[in-house]
Order: sequence, then C-alpha cells, then structure tokens
Amino acid sequence: MSRLAKPDLSRRRFLAGAVGGSCIMGLGLALPGCSPRSAVESLAAARPDATFAPSLWYEIDGTGAAHIFITKAEMGQHVGTALARIVAEELGAAWSQVRITHVDSHPKWGVMVTGGSWSVHTSFKALSQAGAAGRQLLQAAGAAHLGVPVEACTVADGQVSAGGNSVSFGTLVSAGLPEADLSAEALDALPLKAPEARQLLGKPVAALDIPAKSAGEAVYGLDATLPNMVYAVPLLPPTRYGSVLTRLEDGAAGSVPGFLQTLRIEDPSETIQGWGLVIAESLPAAWKAAEKVVAEWTPGPTAEVDEAALFAEGARLADDPAEGVRVVDHGEIDTVLAGATKTLSAHYRTASALHFTLEPQNALAHFDEAGHCHIHGGNQWQSLILPVLSKALGLAETDITLHQYALGGGYGRRLFGDQMIPAGLAARALGRPVKLVLNREQDSRFDCVRSPSVCRFDAALSAEGEVLGIDHGVAAGWPTLSMAPGFLAPGLNDSGRFDSFSISGADHWYTLPAHRVRAINNPLAQKTFLPGWLRAVGPGWIGWGVESFMDELAHAQGVDPIDFRLARLDGAGPNGGDSPANEGGALRLRAVLEAVRERSGWGRSLPQGSGLGVAVAHGQERGMPTWTACVAEVAVAGDAVSVKKLWQVIDVGTVIDPGGARAQAEGAMLWGLSLALYEGTAFEAGQVRDRNLDRYTPLRMKDVPELDIHFAESTAFPSGLGEPPLIAVAPAIGNAIFAATGKRVRDLPIRLS
Amino acid sequence: MTEFMLNGTPVSSASPEDTPLLWVLRDELDHKGTKFGCGIAQCGACTVHLDGTPTRACVLPLSAVAGRQVTTIEGLASDAGEALKAAWVSEQVPQCGYCQSGQLMTAAALLEANPSPSDDEIVNAMNGNLCRCMAYGRIKAAVKVAAGRGEGQA
Repeated sequence: MSRLAKPDLSRRRFLAGAVGGSCIMGLGLALPGCSPRSAVESLAAARPDATFAPSLWYEIDGTGAAHIFITKAEMGQHVGTALARIVAEELGAAWSQVRITHVDSHPKWGVMVTGGSWSVHTSFKALSQAGAAGRQLLQAAGAAHLGVPVEACTVADGQVSAGGNSVSFGTLVSAGLPEADLSAEALDALPLKAPEARQLLGKPVAALDIPAKSAGEAVYGLDATLPNMVYAVPLLPPTRYGSVLTRLEDGAAGSVPGFLQTLRIEDPSETIQGWGLVIAESLPAAWKAAEKVVAEWTPGPTAEVDEAALFAEGARLADDPAEGVRVVDHGEIDTVLAGATKTLSAHYRTASALHFTLEPQNALAHFDEAGHCHIHGGNQWQSLILPVLSKALGLAETDITLHQYALGGGYGRRLFGDQMIPAGLAARALGRPVKLVLNREQDSRFDCVRSPSVCRFDAALSAEGEVLGIDHGVAAGWPTLSMAPGFLAPGLNDSGRFDSFSISGADHWYTLPAHRVRAINNPLAQKTFLPGWLRAVGPGWIGWGVESFMDELAHAQGVDPIDFRLARLDGAGPNGGDSPANEGGALRLRAVLEAVRERSGWGRSLPQGSGLGVAVAHGQERGMPTWTACVAEVAVAGDAVSVKKLWQVIDVGTVIDPGGARAQAEGAMLWGLSLALYEGTAFEAGQVRDRNLDRYTPLRMKDVPELDIHFAESTAFPSGLGEPPLIAVAPAIGNAIFAATGKRVRDLPIRLS
Repeated sequence: MTEFMLNGTPVSSASPEDTPLLWVLRDELDHKGTKFGCGIAQCGACTVHLDGTPTRACVLPLSAVAGRQVTTIEGLASDAGEALKAAWVSEQVPQCGYCQSGQLMTAAALLEANPSPSDDEIVNAMNGNLCRCMAYGRIKAAVKVAAGRGEGQA
C-alpha cells in the first residue's frame, strides 16, 4: 500500500555543528547548497532552511543533556519516550539526561504527521542513524581528549571511555565539537548496535509524559488561554455540506450577561460550510446565548440521508462486479466463479462509529502584531491542515504556526484540524484571540465519522468445499478522497485511483488460487459527511468481513478454522514478504496463530452457550505489517453476548518500549471489543443520531474481560502498535458467537436481537 | 458573589449562580486540572470532591457550593490521594491522560470511604468514569496498589 510520501532517500544527510554552547545535530533530506552551518543556524534562529528538511533534530548542551525534538503528537502512545529511546540507544546517552520537547509547526521541523501506527516504524532507521552519527562525532572528540585511538573508546551513559579514563558528553560539547556532514552512504555504513548489545530498547522505562498526567498537570488544547481572549461556540448547520445560513440574529441573546455578538463564518476553503458562531466573555455565557439566538438554514442536499440509504448505496455498488478500483486481481476470478460447482456469498457491514475524543474539538486562534496567525490546540497532521488554513485565511503557510499540546484523545480525529478554521476566521474578524469550543453533541455532529461500510464476498468452491477463489468488493466513504486526494493510489490496469487506507486488510496474506479486491467509494457517504480515519481505519471494518468470511468458508468445508487458515498461510510467492519491513511474510502470521492456539487452549470443551472464535490481522498495511492473532471466548445467553476473555499474540518485530507497547495493545483490543459490542451509531436526517454518552456508549470498566497479551520475541524491523491489535477482536468475537450458537453475525456492532 | 473553599483556600466568584462549577474552576479560578468531557455528568472527567463526596462539576451550579469545601486534583493531598497519584505513575496508568484527574478524584473518594475495596467495589466505584483510551486494567490495578494490595500489572 502507498506511503504518504516517498522521499528520495539518497538525499539523506546528517549535519551537526556548534551553536551557543550546544551541539545541534539533524538528520534529514538535503538539497545541494545545504551546509552544516546553514542547517544548525536555521534551527538556532528558528527560521527554515529551504535546503534541509529534517526528520530529526536533537541537541546536546554543555551539561551533557540530550534534548530531542519530537514532531509527533502525544496522544497516549508515549511516542516521545519511544522515539527518544531509539536516539539515546545509538547515541550512548544516559537516559537520565534525555529531555524531550514537542515542537510547534515551524517549517524548520519538516513534515509533521502522527498516525497510521507509523511513528516508530517510519522513524526507526533515521533515529538510529542520527544517534549513531552523534556517537561517532563524540567518540572521535573523546578519543582526542583522552589521547587514545578512536577504536580504543567506548561510548555509554553519556561518557566516552578508554582504559579507565572517561570524559562526559557535556565536557566535549563545552570544548566545542567539530562540524559534521555525513552522506546517505556514510549513514548507511555507520555501525548500529546488535540487538543483544542494546541497553535501552526492549527494556522497561517510565514514560516521560505520565507524571504530569497523574497529577492533573498535563496541558491540553482546551486548557490553552491568552490574554483578552473571547469564547466562541458554533451554531452547526443541519448538514455537513451545502447548508446555507439564511438568518442569524441576536434575538434574546442580548439579555445574557457576557454575550458579545454572533458571527457568520465564510470559509474560502469551503471546509466549514454554513456555520455561525456565538461570541461571549465566557463559555457558559456563550452556550446560554446560543440557545437564544435566532439561526435558520436552508439545509444541504443530504438532509434526509439515513444509515439505511448509505448501506443500500454501498451494497448496490459492492454487488456489481464491474464496480471498483482493482487493488488485487489474479487468477481470473470471474471465470472461476462462473465455473464453480458451488459458491458462497455474504455481505458484511459496519455501522457509523464516532471518535468521541474525550477532549472535544477546540482551537485558540490569535493574530500577532505582525499579522502572523497562531493556533493553539492538539493536532496529529499539521502538514495536512496548514495548506487548508492557508486557503481559508488567505495567508502563506509560513504565516501560520500551530502550537502543539497534549491531545485529549486522537484516534485519528485530530488528523484533521478543521475546527481551527472558524477559530482563525473569528480571531481576525474580531481582532482578539478567540477560543472556539465544541460541546459534546457538536463534537459528535462535526466528527469525521468512521464511514458505514459494506463488504461483498463471493467465493467459488469445489464440490469438496475447497476454496477456488474470492471476489471481494468494499464500499465506504473514503477519508483520503476528501482530505488528502493527492495521496490516492493508482489501481491495477488503469482501473482508477483509490484510498489505500480504506482497502488495507483486503490485500491479506492468505494464498488463494484466484482473488480480486475491488475498492469502491460510496459517493452518498462522501456527500453526506466527512469520512474519517478512525483508529485502525480500513482494516477496522475490512478485517471484520475478511476474517468472518474465512470462518464461514472453514465451516462450509468442515475444517477447523485455525487449520483452515494455516493451510493458506504458506508464505508462497508475494506472501513471503518483499522487504525488511515484512520479512518472513505470512509465515510470521502463521507463527502468531499457532501461538494463540496454544495459549487459548483452542479445541477444549466449553459449557453450552460458550464458544471460542479466532481471527488474524496484519495491521495497517502490507508494507509494514504487525502480525496479530486473536482468540475470543464468549458466553451467549439469549440475546446477550458476554466476552469472557481475549487472547492475542502479536509480532511487531523489535519492541522499543515494552510497557508502552502493552498499553497500546490493551487499549486497542478494548477498542476492538467496544466497536464490536458497545459503540456504533446511525445517520438520521443527515446527521449522526447518537451524540452523547446517554446514547453513545463506549465500553466501561465493568465490561473489561480478562486479557492475555503476548508479544513474540523478535529482532525484526519494528512495525507499529497503536491500531493493529484492534482489528482481529471483532471477527474473533463474531466467530466465537457462531461457535457458541451456530448463528452467524454479519453486522457491527453485533446485535443478536 | 458566591464564596466557597477551594482546596482549603477561601475563594469567591461573581458568575451567575447557575454557572456550572466546572467553568468557574477552570476559567475564573485557573484550576484547569478538572476536565470537560460530556457536559451531562456521564463521563466523570470533571469529578471533584464536594465536602468529600465525588461530584460532577459540569452540572453542579455554582450556587450549590456556597460555603462548602471543594477539592480538585490540584488539592488532592490526602494520604489516599498521594498514594493514588504515586500508583498512577508506578502502574503507568495514563495514556492520553485527559480523564485521569476525574479517575483519581473518584478513586480517592473510594479509598477515603473504603480503604481496602474488593475488586467488585473498585469496579462499581470507577464504572462511571469513562477512559476513552480504555486504560481500565491499569486504573483498577493502580487503585489496588494504592490500597496496599495487589502487585499491579504494569
């Protein structure tokens, strides 16, 4: 599947130089003309160097402390800790002297995105090499200081040592390190530590963000304030798109103390359509006034759309074998289906689901005296929203700075910072800082919803039930089409462009004689709402279908569902893997499946009404798989499903931070359970129906089953963990329900009634 | 003017009496550790203690706290509170962390009333606090550690 950008890695360089008593080091993509001096001075002076796009900056000061600048959003994954550990490992820094700083969106930091479970995977090589390059620089300086050959020196714990003598990083930096300029070839030639020599990676560590979060001291976007700011709350239109605000009057709001005015939002980027704002001196006053203003809209064209219509359109498209961009296509599936003795067909569907970040969307916008726009709030993809803000505000991207905060939940919602737009427009109109806050119901209405989806499967079977081929159509709203169309990927044989994030998981690792995957955009979904990237994205809905249908096929053939899968996870051809990132291919998926079979006691007898179900997943993308296998034990009584225990075996390659990794697996698995049984909404009259916790009901503590989570021992290239452990949970539960009751469930959320 | 005790210190607010306490705490008195989540007393992110009882500040009118003691995460200094904050770190509980002030306030009220709760008592007490990251296992483990039983799981 496509990566967001394919940088020319031959342009990688490591640059280092002394500035103001510190040594600044960066690794990134450099253009001709870039020098260590220009690069480090741009950082020190907080101005961009057009010739250098860093993927990492760090700085060692005169005390020996290593300051690592984190461009990734902290939203619960302890990403700064993990990334800093990778640098510190190769640098030979003392962990107690490592500091992290989450940075703003200044162009000098390069591309900024946090999502896709990518952070460790996409950063690992650069961070390791940047650390190793710094170590080499310090080792050479230390050797000269100690008067010994470089080869005689070791570097560890912030010291360069030889023959019983040591010199600290701080001393070497204070004495002035020379400039360094390493080419891509030189970086690739740097020695990296063998896994057994690592002192930090894979070892327990206390996450750096946790103490503040355990004392109420972490600062989130909603906590940001500025002098003289006013509060803004939106008046949301009846549809996301196309509604026209025809009437906006103060009405009785004038009697509310603290009410200032209403404001109509005209957004040149057309991201925000039909909004009004109520401006007041406090949030309670703004909300009180919002109940009293007069606002009327001409609704947009999707004001009557409901969930059934969205599903019907998805099914209509998925059922038509001519529809869809071809993503996988081998073995002449049409011929195979036409000639099959038997066929098995099914629809699998998932309903609309909400991000429901506990911190509602908000933004604090401010124009300084020079006309530069500052926006304060938590965000996952600064590089995506900056061009939109540029268009909305009529400013160059370099005249806008996004100031980062802790994210009170991301899960993909904060990949799009659309709420920043009305805040910015209002701040300019009012000439004052504006803090825009959505209340909970508005946050739900304005969510970029996980699209309702329809999978259509048609399997061709031999007389003995052997699977000869599968045709798989997937219809859904596509986040990438609306928010980042430049990242749509080309399909096979000029069949069009598709959202890889909305089809990943259909390109699974089972070897099939014939297989076709059709990626289909549901245009009604696209028009009705802004489809979003919700934790696990496409694999979150596609895995439900793929792994449930595999179970149906196993039972149709009368074969144990694990044996059925193992027989097709043979690592043949492309399923053997084709890069260091997916080394081993399907054989690693096979290994975690065998391990979970063992751990779960698969095949043991269970009480009446109880059952075990299994599912596997390969994470977010074939190009960076995280291999997972999950078993669920359920007990069904009437219409009530109780999940007793979930087992999951995970092969993520090298584990950086074991505690953080386990925490991500715990959270993601419970998200999978929540989306299977507890969450889900529906469109009604063009809007999501369930907007607050009285009706939208994520899993609570009493719903938590026993979890058995096991990470495979591995030194393979690290993949990602924020999302992959979510994927296999729902199909494992659905398959367990079948084992318990003989009833096949094909819709998420699961409802037996 | 409404007067009350905030973390042991007398404070006053000139806001209308129907103003939810949450916004008085956050935006007037600059105590931002207490969070806004749902606004309908269903998520628990805004939990504070009112005369020692866990209470949802998002729906509590300012008038209801006149002359009373309000404790927020910033003032959580009881033995149970300190033990919980330490256990939140030792068990590596928070993920995004946004709900954790409320979780800690609910847990502190539990341990102050019941220093050695059973697993069921912990779940019953904590069930009203949503953790969207679903760090529930560690929250439960940390409450047990703070109560002096259990090894935790992190």
